[in-house]
Amino acid sequence: MRSFSLIDFVSLFAALRWTVALVALALAFGAPLALGLALGRISRFAGLRWAMAACIQVIQSVPLLGLLFFFYFGMPVFLGIQVPALIAVTVAYTLYTAAFLGEIWRGGLEAVKQAQWEAGACLGLSAWQQFRHIIAPQALRLSLPPTVGFLVQLIKGTSLASILGFVELARAGQVVSAATFQPLLTYALVAAIYFALCLPLTLWSRSLEARLDGSR
Amino acid sequence: MNFLPLWRYQNQLIDGAIVTLELTVISALAGLVIGIAGAVALKGRITPVRWLVRGYIELFRNTPSLIQIFIVFFVLPNFGLKLPAFEAAAVALSLYFGAYSVEIIRAGLDSIPRSQVEAGQCLGLSGWQVFRHIILPPALRNAYPAVTSQFVLLLLGTSLASQVAADELFHVAGFIESRTYRSFEVYAVICAVYFAMAMSFKALFAIIGLAAFRWPRRR
Amino acid sequence: MALVEIRDVHKTFGKVEVLKGVSLDVQEGEIVTIIGRSGSGKSTLLRCINALESVDAGEIRVEGLKVHARMPDLKKFRQRVGIVFQAFNLFPHLKVERNITLAPLLTGRIDKAKARALAADVLTRVGLADKIDAWPEQLSGGQQQRVAIARCLAMAPHLMLFDEVTSALDPELVGEVLKVMEAMAKQGMTMILVTHEMGFARNVANRIVFMHQGRVWEQGPPAKLFANPETPELASFIASAK
Repeated sequence: MRSFSLIDFVSLFAALRWTVALVALALAFGAPLALGLALGRISRFAGLRWAMAACIQVIQSVPLLGLLFFFYFGMPVFLGIQVPALIAVTVAYTLYTAAFLGEIWRGGLEAVKQAQWEAGACLGLSAWQQFRHIIAPQALRLSLPPTVGFLVQLIKGTSLASILGFVELARAGQVVSAATFQPLLTYALVAAIYFALCLPLTLWSRSLEARLDGSR
Repeated sequence: MNFLPLWRYQNQLIDGAIVTLELTVISALAGLVIGIAGAVALKGRITPVRWLVRGYIELFRNTPSLIQIFIVFFVLPNFGLKLPAFEAAAVALSLYFGAYSVEIIRAGLDSIPRSQVEAGQCLGLSGWQVFRHIILPPALRNAYPAVTSQFVLLLLGTSLASQVAADELFHVAGFIESRTYRSFEVYAVICAVYFAMAMSFKALFAIIGLAAFRWPRRR
Repeated sequence: MALVEIRDVHKTFGKVEVLKGVSLDVQEGEIVTIIGRSGSGKSTLLRCINALESVDAGEIRVEGLKVHARMPDLKKFRQRVGIVFQAFNLFPHLKVERNITLAPLLTGRIDKAKARALAADVLTRVGLADKIDAWPEQLSGGQQQRVAIARCLAMAPHLMLFDEVTSALDPELVGEVLKVMEAMAKQGMTMILVTHEMGFARNVANRIVFMHQGRVWEQGPPAKLFANPETPELASFIASAK
């Protein structure tokens, strides 16, 4: 047993880079997928709409922890190959991000009035041009507050990677706590770091929301 | 792929699912009580109490549920409050759900225009009668979708209780995996069980919503 | 004694003095129409009469009772004074019948057995007997406003206040509401209205009160006021309202 020292403090902060890396990976792969899901959900083809809705529904109805364990423990066994831990975890977070962001962005797209598409069509724009120049900017503005709100969920969600042995913030907390026998100090510090990461985003999301309400 | 070895663990799975349901329902009910009390406090005039509630909301919404469970389970014993795993998880999840509920319920109450209250007052109704008959039913309807989707997230979130070894569904999964080494099948089945429970609740809530809120939506 | 006595009432919102010493008497059975530009304080005055707003100075008495937000029998008082709003304010989660019977039942005015008959009766008076089982959202604006009037009538008020009740209606729906109000006037109901409907003011009211800049600027019988306005402010208001 040793006392809580600067080293412990530093190791907690060092663990932040995994938290950030996981969030970045989830967004890098999840966001394009989310856009695809959102577009699929408002597609003209009923079959596609259905399929996308089903994908989102399934992922949103399964615990994030379940996704992580499934891809980390289950998939390698099923495929019969070694899957690097980072890839397995990235797949799980990517799906999680894609489903939730996809649903948020679909809401944003649907909130833009049909007349806006028609107005674009009347100007002779192609479907893609209508989307790119008329619909997307408006939808983005509408869905920005919940998107930032989801970012908070994602940051908090990366704490689950600790269970799989990733030495991100929460795991570093466990390690330090076990080494120093100071769970109170350690977990309070871990919580404080998450809090410091998430609160500004939460406040930002809320002010965006208020600004939208005001302009409506 | 072979799901057969899992068959003999069906009783454990059912027991785990029951514990998960208990944990969910207990935390949801306690969280709703917190939510209502918090929303009332936020509407109240006592400024320190409002700050306290705001602080509580931000604290619990901006830190991971997993850490909250750890703190209740590992840290509170230092203060002489040693809770078993299930109870510790229930306390942490109630507080987590409560923090979201306060905001949802407050938003529901705020969604009722002041003019509705005035119309009630002008008919000679008391403050309580106005709240009970004029504010509450439409406020409940407006809060209902958010409450129910938060409930489903809570159901999924109870899986974190496995990390303090509360014997809920996800913990059972780990147990079966350690016996069978069939990781793929075990986690596929566990995810399917959560999925089935989540979909059942969504369907149930949709039916309750249709039955409870019959009046047409504002055009 | 007048049914409503308003004595030198002042009311300030923030830094804006909306009412600057208003005095007005309304006799039983009288139909008084308050006209004036927006911001002249007419709606505020109306809201003060049933204590939706409190007065800063002066006093308002209705049936001899001094009106204020903390009066001992506020709820009883409000049951005797009906008010109809610009935005109808029907309760969206209650059917028409329940909208009407909620207050009479909760305040113990009637018992359950008589509730539906009461609703049917007041709905007949506003010409909507067939809508007793409808939801408010299924009705047109004019119908909703007539239900709102019926809801007040169910309390058998001694005085009715109307706050720009036709302003939110499509033009073709205004007539049906005014007709109901005219019928009530003929039955001897004491009414105070804030309105932009000059035709109604001219034909139905006993007295017109012109408010300007928080004061009663000019008042009198409609024929005289519209034909020979004494003040240039009223003259220009009448000209602009045409």
